[in-house]
This record gives sequence, structure tokens and C-alpha cells, in this order.
Amino acid sequence: MIRFVDATKVYSNGVVGLKNLTLRIEKGEFVFIIGPSGSGKSTFLKLIMHEEVPTEGEVYVNGYSVHDMPHSEIPYLRRSLGVVFQDFRLLPNKTAYENVAFAMQIVEATSREIRRQVPLALGLVGLSKKAKAYPDQLSGGEQQRVVLARALVNNPAVLIADEPTGNLDPKTSIEIMNLLEEINQRGTTVVVATHEKSIVDAMKKRVVTLEHGEIKSDVKKGSYFDEN
Amino acid sequence: MKIRTMKLLVKEGTNNVIKNKLMSFASIMTVVATLFFLGIILLIAINITSNIEAMKRDLEVTVFLNVNVTNYQRAEVLSYIESKKEAGIISEYRIETKEEMYQNIKESLNDDTLLEGFSVENTAESFYIKLVDPNSSDEIISQISRFEGVNNNNGIGYGKDELDKLEGILKIFNYIIMAILIVLMIISVFLISNTIRLTVFARRHQIEIMKYVGALDSFIRWPFIVEGLLIGFMGAVLSFFLTSQAYQWLQGVINVILTNLKLSTLRIMEFSPVAIRMFIIYSIFGMVIGGIGSLLSVRKHLNV
Repeated sequence: MIRFVDATKVYSNGVVGLKNLTLRIEKGEFVFIIGPSGSGKSTFLKLIMHEEVPTEGEVYVNGYSVHDMPHSEIPYLRRSLGVVFQDFRLLPNKTAYENVAFAMQIVEATSREIRRQVPLALGLVGLSKKAKAYPDQLSGGEQQRVVLARALVNNPAVLIADEPTGNLDPKTSIEIMNLLEEINQRGTTVVVATHEKSIVDAMKKRVVTLEHGEIKSDVKKGSYFDEN
Repeated sequence: MKIRTMKLLVKEGTNNVIKNKLMSFASIMTVVATLFFLGIILLIAINITSNIEAMKRDLEVTVFLNVNVTNYQRAEVLSYIESKKEAGIISEYRIETKEEMYQNIKESLNDDTLLEGFSVENTAESFYIKLVDPNSSDEIISQISRFEGVNNNNGIGYGKDELDKLEGILKIFNYIIMAILIVLMIISVFLISNTIRLTVFARRHQIEIMKYVGALDSFIRWPFIVEGLLIGFMGAVLSFFLTSQAYQWLQGVINVILTNLKLSTLRIMEFSPVAIRMFIIYSIFGMVIGGIGSLLSVRKHLNV
């Protein structure tokens, strides 16, 4: 599903993002990527999305060779991924429904498919009643649910979340995490980068700890301080 | 690309133009100015060329016979001219007799005392020849000058060389204008690309989201191209209207001046025969300017 083989990323300013990272994430897994700022979490996610390419080594995602792929294939790689950001990134001039539908329009879905899939996705994240609300009429947690619906509506094989609870209060964070777990149980591989230890500790999932661009520990059913 | 997607992209592009009224207006105006300038220059060029062509068609080769030409020599020249007419090289000719020439001279001098000692016998017969192709004049003149009955001292008259020189100067003039036009077009391409860059900037958020969701480059690019094409086309329509009005007004004014100056052989052309061609040229140029402008402004944002 996701495979890093000896992947190294050195940015043009000399900063090392990742150093000889080898890692395998199987289909249907739920993985936390943790570590302090600058540990390589963001680089790891960027390589998966082809926002960056590795300087050395290989990265495979959903059958695509990210380290060596033509520009024209990037959109198709991204269609196999659902992405959730800390800062939501919703379109302010579109309603919750339209924001989710937009993701389907982009991949040229039929309007019939859109009419069927969007309510399902909004229902899954528990926002059916707020379909007509604009992002500024929604709370942070609700906005993140819309983002989740948008990420899921095209049925991606992998869901990637970069600090999905970074802007949310603890209670809402747990709700979002439960939602991610539910999505995972439906068969979607979920990769979450975070540095919120309470969440990691509560979830009892696989935890990959990064430091200085290298894997410090990789524990099944781990917690934030397993390395100690 | 699917039809519903095309609809969506055209709608997005149109919305961009409407939402961004002020900048769209500014861009449309640059297109209007560029095309107006282009159109006026084109129309001037068309008029000059058509007038020169008309003048060339009216040119006559004037052949003077010797005063004491024999009947045989005269018949020789005449049969040569006839044969060239049959061969389709000479379109028509007329003969000016000695009497006609005498009368012409008398009229132009308007003073009989100057004609003392000058009689019909001193004048020469002459032929005025019109050519089908003005460029064949050199050949005809050299052949006709070999006849003994032809007066080579008074020369065989033809104004083509002067017109050719004029055309040569105009050609250089055309190149200069073309250079100015290219510079002008580049300027308007950049102005439009700046306008669209603003919409791109305003929508960078949306572009980013589109990319994360897996939109194809073309999907991201097309709304902006539509925006550019639309701006170009609206500028073209407006500029075409302005040009046609300005031209028709100028046409009337200049034609009156030409008539007053007794230069009625020169005419400013009507607008209607070239209207469709001008409109097509305007639309193509406008849309090319707009399209290139928008491509320039989106390109940078697609490289992620």
C-alpha cells in the first residue's frame, strides 16, 4: 500500500527531511506518525502525496512509484488518496454540500453520482443537517467533518491526515479520531501525523516515531512515550 | 474532456470575469486599445495598397512616333501593339492623332502667340497603351523602342518606377509598424496576464485544494483560459465597433478633402467590404492575446 525504501529527502536549502527511511504500511492499517517539529512527519506525508519527491530511495503509494512518475500521473495518485489538513482548507464561498461535491466534479463524476455520494459522505461524518451551511457558519469540528467527507467522497484507498485535531478542542478531537477509526474499519488505510499524545495513547494503534528524519521506534498498539 | 466538465469550466471562467469587474474592465480596455491601433494601421495599409494597385492599373505607356514617320513604320508599330493585345498583354490602347495633340497643346498653352510657327505638321502621333499586368511594362517598352518609327528622344513614358519606389518605402514603413504592433501586443499580453494573476492569486487556495483532490492540470487551467479568451473577445468586439465608427467618419472626411484637392483618383475604401475580415482578425488577435496572457499567469501555479 505505502512503501518507503531507503528514502532520503534533502531540501534545496540543505535541510534534511528524511534520512534513509524504510517503512511499510499495509492495506487497512491505522498508523500514527509522531515526533517533534522538524522530525520529518510533514516530509513523510509530502512524499506520499507527491508534493515533494525523494532525493534518493524509493516511495511506492497505491501502486504508483512516487519517486519516478510522470507529471501527468500525479492527479491519479492523488485521487487514490484522501487528504485532511490541520487548517481544513474548505472553499469559503461554497456550502458544505458544494465543497464535498466539488471534489467529485473535479474527478468528472456524473451529477447522478454526485447526488448519491455527497449525502452519504455527509451522513457518515454526521453532518447531514448542515449540508447547506457555509464554512464560516460551522464550528471547527464541523468544518473538519466536512473536510473528512470531502476526503472520503471519492472512496480513496488511503486517508492521510496532517495534524487533523491541531485546531480543535480535546472533546472534538476525540470525536474526529473516532470518526477516523470508523473510516478505518470500513477498510480505508489511515495515516495520521500528530503530536497530541493523549490521542495517540487512547487509540492504541501502530505508532511510528520519527526523529531527525529517521525512525526512532515503530510499535504496534503503541503510545506516545513508548520509546522511553 | 466531458461536456458537463466543459460547462463547469466555462461557468467558472465567466464568473471570474464578472467577479473581478474592475480588473476585467482594465484588461478589456488594453485589448481595445491594442486592437484599435492594429485596426487603424491595417486599414491604412489596405487603403494604400488598393490605391497603388488602382493607380498601376490606370498607368499608360505613352509611345510618341517620330514627326516624319513613314506609313510603313507606323503600321509596324501598330501591328506590334495589335499582336500584344491579342496575346492578352495589352488590355487597350488609344491613338492620339497629330490634330488632337495640336489642339491639346493649344488648349494647355492658352495663348496663341506662343504657337507662332508651330503647326499640326510639327506634332507627332502617339499611342497610349494600357497593360494587363503593370509589371510587364519593362519588356514592352524595350521591345517597342526598337521600332524605327518610335521617337526615343521624347521617350516612352511610364510612371511605374515612381510607384515602385513608393511601394518600397511603404514596405519599410510596414515593417516598422509591425514591430510597434508586436511590442504593443506583448505589453497587452502582460497586462492581461497580470489581471488574471490576481484572480489566480485570489483563488490559489482553491487551486491548491483542486490539486490535492487530484484535478488534472487542464481542469485547473481552463477556467483561467476561458477568462482570458472572454476578456480578449469582449475587447475585440468593443474595439471593432470603435474602429468601424472612427473609420467611417474619417472615410467621409478624407474623401471630401481628396475631392477638393482634385485627387479624386485616390479613394478611401468603404468599411463594409472588409468588415467581416476585420472582425475575424480582431477576434483572433484578441483571443490570442487573452489566451496567452492567462496561460502565462497560471503556469507558475501548476508546478506542484
